[in-house]
Amino acid sequence: MTEKAKCDCCGGNIAIFPCVGGSNVGQLSNKIAIELEKEGFGNLMCTAGIGARASGIIKSAEASDRIIAIDGCPVNCASKTLELAGFKVDSHIIISELGIKKTKDKDLKENEISEALEKTLEVLKSE
Amino acid sequence: MKIEILGTGCSKCNKTKEVVEKVLKNTGVTAEVVKVEDIETILKYGVMITPAVVIDGDVKIVGKVPNEKEIQKWITK
Repeated sequence: MTEKAKCDCCGGNIAIFPCVGGSNVGQLSNKIAIELEKEGFGNLMCTAGIGARASGIIKSAEASDRIIAIDGCPVNCASKTLELAGFKVDSHIIISELGIKKTKDKDLKENEISEALEKTLEVLKSE
Repeated sequence: MKIEILGTGCSKCNKTKEVVEKVLKNTGVTAEVVKVEDIETILKYGVMITPAVVIDGDVKIVGKVPNEKEIQKWITK
């Protein structure tokens, strides 16, 4: 992944926070966030940094125009972490509700990645 | 006190440095001002959007040019 810090002069900052949980859907949340960033949809940011109250991450989230939380399952760790830190989540994706069953498998399947990405984009573009 | 201005060289980043230096001059506060353009150093702070201001390791603002009042509050605390 190409690492970058976006200059705010360009405007339109969208922060993407995946749960990166210990399941297939948790790992898929991260993969989807990476793919969204590659497509120019927004900036992948560290959800753990929000939990840790890391000043750089908190301030980056505050500077974002829109916050997207991608959770693997309805435990909603990413969105709850953001809300507990005082952020309003503008868009919330739950991978397991896109038709992908939660398992303990951490090896991602290509068909599940493309399915989850397609459905996530559908949801985000419809909002 | 060490004040780092994080940014890759855009106009907002340059403006941030100007404002910080102006406030330092007006208040008489002594600080080392460093412009950080190296992306790896910027990312070490978890900063994803620039410009940003870091004072003694603490990120104070990200994504916008701070106003003079804000800077004064940070440096006289």
